[in-house]
This record gives sequence, structure tokens and C-alpha cells, in this order.
Amino acid sequence: MSVRDSLPAHDSDTALVLSVVAVVLGLAIAFTPVTATIPGDLYVFFEVGILFVVYGILVLGLDLQYGHTGLVNFGHVVFFAAGAYTMAMLSAVDSFEGIALGYPWPLGVVAAVLVAGLLGAFVGATSLRLRGDFLAIATLATAEIFHTLFINFTDVFGGTTGIFGIPTPLGDVAGTRDATLVATLLVFGGLTALTFAIVARLTEAPYGRVLRAIRADELVTRAVGKSTFRYKMESFVYGAALAGFAGAIFAMYNGAISPDFFELQVTVTIWIGMLLGGASNHRAVLGGLGIIMGLRLFSRFAQGSAPVTAGEFASIRLIVVGLILILVIRYRPAGIWGDERELEVDS
Amino acid sequence: MGLAQNLIFGLVTGSYIAIAAIGFTLIYGIVNMINFAYGEYLTIGAFIGLLSAGALPLPLPVSVVVAMVGGGIASILLAKLFFTPINHTGPIPMLLTSIGLGLVLRNAIRLVAGRSARYYDTETTTWQFRNVPDLSVGPVDLLGGFFVTSQQLIVVGCALGVFLVLHTVLTRTDVGIAMRAMSDDEALARVRGIDTQLIRNSVWVLAGMLAGLSGVLLGIQTNVSVTTGFSQILQILSAAILGGAGSPYGAIAGAYIIGVALALSTAFLPSSMTGISSAIAFAILVVVLLVKPSGIAGAEVREA
Repeated sequence: MSVRDSLPAHDSDTALVLSVVAVVLGLAIAFTPVTATIPGDLYVFFEVGILFVVYGILVLGLDLQYGHTGLVNFGHVVFFAAGAYTMAMLSAVDSFEGIALGYPWPLGVVAAVLVAGLLGAFVGATSLRLRGDFLAIATLATAEIFHTLFINFTDVFGGTTGIFGIPTPLGDVAGTRDATLVATLLVFGGLTALTFAIVARLTEAPYGRVLRAIRADELVTRAVGKSTFRYKMESFVYGAALAGFAGAIFAMYNGAISPDFFELQVTVTIWIGMLLGGASNHRAVLGGLGIIMGLRLFSRFAQGSAPVTAGEFASIRLIVVGLILILVIRYRPAGIWGDERELEVDS
Repeated sequence: MGLAQNLIFGLVTGSYIAIAAIGFTLIYGIVNMINFAYGEYLTIGAFIGLLSAGALPLPLPVSVVVAMVGGGIASILLAKLFFTPINHTGPIPMLLTSIGLGLVLRNAIRLVAGRSARYYDTETTTWQFRNVPDLSVGPVDLLGGFFVTSQQLIVVGCALGVFLVLHTVLTRTDVGIAMRAMSDDEALARVRGIDTQLIRNSVWVLAGMLAGLSGVLLGIQTNVSVTTGFSQILQILSAAILGGAGSPYGAIAGAYIIGVALALSTAFLPSSMTGISSAIAFAILVVVLLVKPSGIAGAEVREA
């Protein structure tokens, strides 16, 4: 009997164990006077790493919608933003602009999940009957409408400046900047693992089989007596609520939010990560997102030695990102680790 | 400013949206894809026109033609490189590819042209038409109530010209009739001996030319920058879907509805809220998708 045999058999159980370990470790670093020191060069690893685990929650939710149920949500960022803005408006103190009510942060987190879920229910109820590409356009337009509202309703959303003074509980207890980064990465990573565990449990169950059946052939699924609209709706709302949760913790890490954090770019990054890794496979979508975020990390290092300005470099990076999206769809439509038969793609 | 003045703005906005929306909706109808990169085709056209009118410099009417030809060539090349190879994979991969292509084009243009806005020098590119009163002197006082600039007249005039030519092409020429046949039922069209690939290519060229024209007109009205076309894509999309995706005549109607709605929204919204007028087009889009997803005159877009 090796060590391997004593590990949990299911991905979901492994993730649950990992989640508890990471959160406990992270909280331990935050609450004890253990000081972590990060060498200056490695800061960027932690910053990108934290963004990776936050986006990880987004991609797991999106994969529940697209990879499993076949719903083409191209406005995923709006649910992320809804969570972050709800968190900010409820719990921020002394913001320069916008609503800042100063309630305790746990209330903000719960409200963020609820508001994002409700928004998901609203968008879902109105557009889930649309054909795939029109659903994509409707969700994308919804995200753009909200982006415009965030920018223009300064009294409510803080306009282009955004909302400041959001509580950063982990940062407050950890004290130093280095300890905060380590603790945040561990705790957020644990939350992503927890999300993985929940989503994997859901899709390993017969419930997940119904979702995949809808993706494969909705008519047949309806013919065997499943209320496909209800399943689609649930899948959409779960994904939206997860994105809202990601938005809430992102706001609590950053301490401030602005419309810049919630542009189309976020949706594109998440989508590329999912497609690159292989939709409908939880580990694969995280792997794909890791590759895209790794590119971001690598490019930050490369920028120093590149003979171009920062603006030009940003353009080049986005060109590469766009090309990756195009090439993946053309040459590996099921993604790097995806199952072509599962996705029924024609490559 | 009176209501009439706003209606003029609406007609002008509707005109360049309509030209682009026709191209967009033809691609949808024939190639069966939502081309999200289409806004970038407008930007390409606007820059080609600007280079031609500013750097060479050719007279503006000639530059318009240059931009249309450039837009057509760019469109067919991009289609051959990116879209034709994955034609068989269905609408979602095509849509995602177009989003990737839009990202690539937008940033490539930014890399070459920079961020700053450029202007068509309407002084030096005075309209060279003979026998036409010089309209470039400034606003023309019409009926004593509102003003129309020469640029606005040109935009609306070009749009009317496009509609006339389009109608003739679609009803009188073999290619146009084949396009309509393919839009209705591609399999049937192929059985009847229509060279579907040839028609697809013609649509790409035609849509690129319309994008080029729309881009230049938009550039003359406002300015030319890397986001010129991208800022229009959701309005073009809204117009095409409002009119019923795939229907050119619907797209024209949709474009003017969107244009007038945008202009009226700026009239009725308080000045601090004018920024949200761009959200109005998207709101119309969402409402149309919900209430009547097939649009004014289009195909079914619901699955069930």
C-alpha cells in the first residue's frame, strides 16, 4: 500500500483536502507573527498568482456554463464586476466617489454572491432560449451596458475613478505587505480549490450528466423528460454566482475597484484559458488559464529587455493572445487536454 | 438645439451605421457567422482613406474609392486566412475566431498608428464636384430652423447611393440573386448550380468595401483612431439584429432606428448622462433579442 492509494479517489475530494490545507496555512501565516519575505523579483509571481486563482474561480464557473451545458456566455466579466461592485458599495468606507455604506465585509461577500446570482437569473431568464451565437451577443451586450453604467453613474459606482476604501481583512491581520501576499495567495488558492471541489462534485454526479446531455443534444434530453431550461438556468446562475464570489474577494484584495478591471479583456482571457486547456475538463481549463497567465508573467519579464515602449509591448502581447485564440480554435478545437469525442468537435 | 437638429444627427448616424450594417448582415446571411471583427474593417477603411487623402494626397472622392477597394481586399484576404478554413465548424468557433481576429487587428493598428486621433482635413479636401455649390464653407442654414453641414449631406447622400446600388445588385444581377438564394437556403442554392464559394467570396469583398466606405464617412464626421470601428460594432450589430439578421433591407431600417434613438437620447438625457447614450443601442439590441429575436424581417434565431 503506497501513499498514492491513501489519497482520495475523486478529483473533488483531492481538491477539498488541498483547499483546507491551503486556507489553514494561509490564515496561519496571516494571524501569526511569522514574517514572510519575498525577494523583490518575485513580487510579480505573487501578484499574477493571485489574479490567476481569482480568474480560476471565473473559469470554473464559465466551464460549468459552456464546457458542460453548452451556454455561450460572452459577458462573464459582468458577473465578476457585479460581485466586486456589490462588495465595494456595501462595505467600503470613505470612498472618494460612489456609494460606500461601510457595512461589515462578510455581509458584502454574501450580497455579492446573491446579486451576481440574481443578475445571472435575470440574464438567463431573458436570453437562454436564444441560439448560441445570439446568446453570446446578448451577454456581451449586457456586459457592455453595465460597463457604460459603471463609468457614467459617478454618484453610484464612482465613475472612472471607481470605489476606494474597501476593507482588506487579510491585509489588516497580516500586517506586512509580503505576509499579505503569501497569505492571500494561499487563502484565495484554497477558495479556488474549494470551488473546484464543488464544481467537480456537481459534474461527477448524475446532474452533470444531464448538463452534458443538454450540450450534446438538447432536443433528445428534453424528449427523455428533463426540463432543459431549468437545468440551463441553474448552470448559468451557479456560474454567475461563482463569478460574483470571485469579484467580492478580488475587491477585498485590491481595496479599490474601477471599471478598468472589468473590461472585455477579462472575458477574452477566461475564454482563451478555457478553450486552450480543453472545455468540460476542470483541470484542463485551469491549466489553460495557467498558460495564458504564465504568458502575462513571462511578458512582464521580457518587457524590460524588449526594445519597445510599454504601450507597444502591451499591443504585441494582445496580438499574441488573439492569435492563440484563433490558432487553438483552428488546430486544437478540443483544447490541449480536452476530449474531442466529449465535445463533439470536428477537427 | 431643437428636435429637428437631433433628427438630422440621427439620420447621419443612421446612414453610416446602415452602410456598415448591410455588409455585416450579408456576412451573417451568406457565411452564417457573426463577424465581431467587422468594426476593425471600418477602422482599416478609415485609415486607408486618411492615408490616401492626407499623405498622397488624392482628392477625397478618389480616396473614398481607394478606401473601399482597400477594405474589400483586406476583407477577402482576412476571410481566406482565418474564416474559410473553419467554415464547416459552425457559428460559435467562427464567432470566437472573429473576436480573436478583432483583438489582433485592433492592436496591430495601434502598434502602427498609435493611440492619438487623426482628422480628415476637410479644408484641403474640399469637394471637387463641378456644378455643385461649394458646401464646404460650413453649416448650411436650412429652412431657418436647423443646420446641415456639407459632411452630413455627403454621408446621407452616399448612403442613399449605396441603397440604390445594393437594391439593383440584389434584384438585377446574377451574383445578387444568387446571394439572396444562398441566404434563404444554401443547400438548395448549391443543388441549383450556384457556385457557393464564389458567392461567399463576393460577399466578403462587398462587405469589406461597405466597411471601407462607412469607415471613411465616420472618419469625416468625427475622427480616425484605433477605436473608430470598434466603438461602432455593437451599434452595427444592433442594427443588423433589429432588422432581422441576414436581411439587408432590415439592416437599413434597423440602422436608422438606432441612429435616431441615439440622437434623441442625447436630447432628452441630462448632459451629465450623455455618456450612456452608447448603451442605448445595446439596450435596444437586448430588448429586440428578447421580444422579437427574428427582428423586423429576418430568420429565426431561437433554438426552441
